[in-house]
Amino acid sequence: MSFREKSAWAMGAVMVFTGLLYLRLLWAVPADASPQSQLGPLIPYLFAVVVASIAVQVVLAIVSRGDPRRPADERERAAIHKAGHWAGFVLAAAAIKGAMLYLWQGEGAVLFQWLIGSLIFSQFAAYALQVYFFRRGV
Amino acid sequence: MGKAPPITNRVRDLREAHGGLSQQALANAIGVTRQTVIAIEQGKYSPSLESAFRISRVFGAGLEDVFGWEG
Repeated sequence: MSFREKSAWAMGAVMVFTGLLYLRLLWAVPADASPQSQLGPLIPYLFAVVVASIAVQVVLAIVSRGDPRRPADERERAAIHKAGHWAGFVLAAAAIKGAMLYLWQGEGAVLFQWLIGSLIFSQFAAYALQVYFFRRGV
Repeated sequence: MGKAPPITNRVRDLREAHGGLSQQALANAIGVTRQTVIAIEQGKYSPSLESAFRISRVFGAGLEDVFGWEG
């Protein structure tokens, strides 16, 4: 397994675990909370993502030795590019769904959290699709 | 995605014919990862024209001696 694929697996796992953490934190926010308090779960979530990402990359760099310094080759670049392209569609679809929710429910807090969730999910999709294209071909 | 490209190649045969050149050695010679050489041999990835020329040069063969078209 190449360094890029290991990295995609690891970062996908980081997105899943931190995404679940975000959901748990979100659960603690009261339904009638002020719009500003919607930011509450976001700060520890971002901290967790940054710390976990750095930790994962450090471990991978130690395990893989010279590989992290090597730039992605042509097949890897194509896979990463294609994964990003399709993840963009995932984000767009989720954002449109959020906009529809706002039209029917009229709750800004739901729209805000939906969009944050969409960003998290589309980032996970980008890593999952990278793994798929690395394995199945571009 | 799942459909193999119509470009065929003899990379594996040529590696074996050149004293069992390893996938890693070929990858180093053309500047890609071993996984990319594996993907080329399995027909899952068609290399760029530049990499195709580099592969041909490693084997001292012409482009059409290494790659073919089944379209």
